[in-house]
Amino acid sequence: MGIWRKFESWLSWLPWYRRGARDAELERELRDHLDLEAEEQREAGLSPKQAAYAAHRALGNTLKIEEDVRAAWGFQWLETLAQDVRFSFRMLRKSPGFTAVAVLTLALGIGANTALFSVINATLLRPVPYPDAARMVLVWQTYGGNSPDNVNIVSAPNIWDIQKQNDVLGSIGIFDSAGKGYNLGAGSDAGRVGGVRVNAGFFDVLEIKPLLGRTFLPEEETAGKDNEVVLTYGLWQRRFGGDPAMIGKQIEVEGSSYTVGGIMPKEFEFQFWSRERELFVPIGYTQGDKDRTSNSFVAISRLKPGVTLAQANAELAAIGQRLANEYPNQDQRMGVMATPLTLFEMGGIGATLLALLVAVGFVLIIACVNVANLLLARGASRVREFAVRSALGATRRRLVSQLITESLLLGLLGGAAGLLVASVALSLFTPFLPGSLRSMPFRQLGSISIEGRVFIFALLLSCVASILFGLVPALGARPNHLFDALKESAGRGLTSVGGNRLRHVLVAGEVALALIILTGAGLMIDSMARLLAVNPGLNPKNVLVTSVSTKQDNMYYSPPVDAHFCQEITRQIGAIPGVVSVGAVAHLPIGGGSAGRGFVIEGAPPFAPGNQPGAGYSVACPNFFRTMGIPIIEGREFTDADTVNAAGVIVIDEAMARRYWPKQDPVGKHIKIGGADSKNPWLTIVGVTADFRRDGLDKLPRPLFYRPFTQAAWPSMNIVLRTESAPEAFEKPVREALAQLGGNYPPSNMSTMEQIVSDSLGSRRFPMFLLSAFALLALALSAVGIAGVVSYSVIQRTHELGIRMALGARPADVLKLVLGGSMSWALGGVAIGILGALGLTHLMGGLLYDVRPGDPLILGGTAAVLLLVALLACYIPARRAMKVDPMVALRYESFAEDKCLTGASILRYEDVWESRSSDKCCEGPSRPRECLSLRQRGRRSRPEFSPCAALFPSIASKAARRTRQT
Amino acid sequence: MLILRTLRLGPAHGHEIAKHIQRTTDDVLQVEHGSLYPALHRLERKGWLSAKWEMPRGGKREFKYYRLTATGKKQLVAEHSKWRRLVASIGRVMEPAR
Repeated sequence: MGIWRKFESWLSWLPWYRRGARDAELERELRDHLDLEAEEQREAGLSPKQAAYAAHRALGNTLKIEEDVRAAWGFQWLETLAQDVRFSFRMLRKSPGFTAVAVLTLALGIGANTALFSVINATLLRPVPYPDAARMVLVWQTYGGNSPDNVNIVSAPNIWDIQKQNDVLGSIGIFDSAGKGYNLGAGSDAGRVGGVRVNAGFFDVLEIKPLLGRTFLPEEETAGKDNEVVLTYGLWQRRFGGDPAMIGKQIEVEGSSYTVGGIMPKEFEFQFWSRERELFVPIGYTQGDKDRTSNSFVAISRLKPGVTLAQANAELAAIGQRLANEYPNQDQRMGVMATPLTLFEMGGIGATLLALLVAVGFVLIIACVNVANLLLARGASRVREFAVRSALGATRRRLVSQLITESLLLGLLGGAAGLLVASVALSLFTPFLPGSLRSMPFRQLGSISIEGRVFIFALLLSCVASILFGLVPALGARPNHLFDALKESAGRGLTSVGGNRLRHVLVAGEVALALIILTGAGLMIDSMARLLAVNPGLNPKNVLVTSVSTKQDNMYYSPPVDAHFCQEITRQIGAIPGVVSVGAVAHLPIGGGSAGRGFVIEGAPPFAPGNQPGAGYSVACPNFFRTMGIPIIEGREFTDADTVNAAGVIVIDEAMARRYWPKQDPVGKHIKIGGADSKNPWLTIVGVTADFRRDGLDKLPRPLFYRPFTQAAWPSMNIVLRTESAPEAFEKPVREALAQLGGNYPPSNMSTMEQIVSDSLGSRRFPMFLLSAFALLALALSAVGIAGVVSYSVIQRTHELGIRMALGARPADVLKLVLGGSMSWALGGVAIGILGALGLTHLMGGLLYDVRPGDPLILGGTAAVLLLVALLACYIPARRAMKVDPMVALRYESFAEDKCLTGASILRYEDVWESRSSDKCCEGPSRPRECLSLRQRGRRSRPEFSPCAALFPSIASKAARRTRQT
Repeated sequence: MLILRTLRLGPAHGHEIAKHIQRTTDDVLQVEHGSLYPALHRLERKGWLSAKWEMPRGGKREFKYYRLTATGKKQLVAEHSKWRRLVASIGRVMEPAR
């Protein structure tokens, strides 16, 4: 009972709770009072009727009392709000055209913002899925000072030392930065999965316990004891049907037998540098891994409790210093630092997203300006409504709150429609998302969707937008104008010069913003065009590529286990009809990764420490260059004769020849991989290739050299074949041909070289695509905005234009007048926009290729496009102005605005200026009251003028001039 | 305060309160009946009064009776002492100590 009381007393604060009953009670209470009072009066001797009157008199106005009591109940504001909302709905429904345009405009603006936000939400804002991720760090070797810009992956021996010497970090987990495709299973059910080598501490650092079994033990880090695997939940389900008995079972990996040690839980996903890793094998340190200069691992760790990042970095810097001193040959000028894991790889995406955010923000502002202009125009026609309401006692606060409610409602409707726009836009452009955005390192893969946070964002955005576009008209509703407005007939009230100027200023701002976005998009499109025009130095047409892994225990260093790999694939694939030539390479051109080697040139003077010659390094099969269409400009490429036992040979590129043998013939020269004291054999340069874009179309060629696969193996090779016709048709024959090699080389990632070239631009294409979409949106919105404002001002000036034409202005003059007036504002906007673009496009420096942010051609071009669009947007309504019939214009005005003139047929212009001394315009069957007010106004404002002259000051002055002249 | 003081004597309905104030002040303070009800509802909202429809002794119909709550009583004491101070100070100004 007590609880119910309490609950009810809470409920009673809600206005709708027992509303009817409450009102009835109040009424009854007052009636009781009246009855009692009347009874008393009757006792005092009044007749029943008189008594009732007296009682009413004593009580006062019952309606007023009821109002006051309801106010005392304390929820009047809520009722006001409900009233406002109801009224706003009615207003919006009554002008469906206005509502549709405004909501659509807002939907586009809010939709674009929401779509971009959901991309950010799904990538940058997606949390790192490990416990207490804020304390996780990545440990790097740095070269050239301890700064996040100089970080580099680490070598195992350095990490061993760092682990031993520091006491700011917990255990350090490392994994192979490159990862690897592993052949899982044997024979016909062989398949390739992404895997990675990790050390024993790796899973401990992530603090993820296995679902079944165990993770790796420290002793399994030794090569030979490392035949153990850990699987992700997904792989376990997919390949082994989620069989819990798999723990301890043997499976075939890369042709060897491995024991399944553990299964990770479902929520565990691991990806790094754009490839998901599902198979984990112990690190099994090879001889190469134990080289202090072999930087091939990524190190993760956690700060010890109570240690700050700054403290940790101070200690790591000291350790780096110590290592650099201790190993001057290997760790020359090296530093060590830790960076927060949660911030990893955010920087590069940041610039792109910043540019896009600025652009999409501008689009929203443009949309808001358009809606504000619409509201202003509508406000002008609603001036009378507000005047009447304020005359009836509405306070200014009440009027403004009404306006704000209306704009909020409009904003929320726009936001709801914007969510729809966003979901459509997302489904359209998700396929264009670059891999770097789709799979952030360490974060879970996931679809980009509209979820809770995106909803809240859209809601907030709608409210902010409502305030933006609602504020201008709301501020315009000044009560001191209302009196004039009441006197004036419809329409004239806010057609003041001030109102028009405000609208034009808004449009100029809109033009400026559109220009900035357009410039940004123009710069990106130009960059893209220049990139596409870059000569890659190879011929990607009709080339099919697939990657396979080769059996290589001691990766990277020793001669190949599969000594006949090149011959086998050439024999099998070369036999497919339509295949022109076959080759293979470790690193594909156009951004297929890279390796590097330091070397010594025979006969060259000894180099200073830290200045050893070096170049990019890769491994190729015979015929690779011919197949890829990379010309050999000197010497030869590899042949089958370059076997393990033959003399060591290399092929270098033009950039390397230029760098190390300027003005000499490099063919026949010798180099040795490693330092001066290296025991490696001397290698002979047998050929020089023309320059080609190895690291991507946007990167200049740099020195690099190739060794033949037969002499230096690589664990993962890309088979390349040139075909006579469309390469896609060869995918199946290639698969079949490779299957005939005993299941040793299951292919993966088959694609055409043209696709690879195109994909390499993905991270540029996406922002370019989006920015162009935003630019088009901005252009369209501002065109609509300009057209709206100009046509509105033309309608307002119909009367004036009519008079001008009547007085002898030709249509061309009118056109010039309207165009000139509006275009000067557009020109102003363009000027401001150019300044803004100069300032803002500098932010996009990193996104551009071969074009400066302030490129005059682009700036001039976008300005021209914008002016053209503005001209068109002005011209359409201006043409209407040109066709104005002066008679119609004048009469239109008189009908619409001055009812007192309705009956008078004096409105030929001669009559108008002749009538200035009389009150002729009030003759005829007009309404006396309006005439009176007109007369009074005329007298008050300009006693010497007639009302007609006051109405048409321009005619009056012109007429006066005319009379003076004659 | 006058309403609170009136209700100190016991529960009453609106008309009784109005009449009581009128009578005890010898018709000097003619509380306008109209302003009484908003005041009553405001006091009820504040929790100083509680209201209940009750049958008066020997009556034929129910009236809405207001009565003082505990907080209302406290409020009355506070207001009363405030009023007394005010009257005392006005008194000192109007009739300086003789």
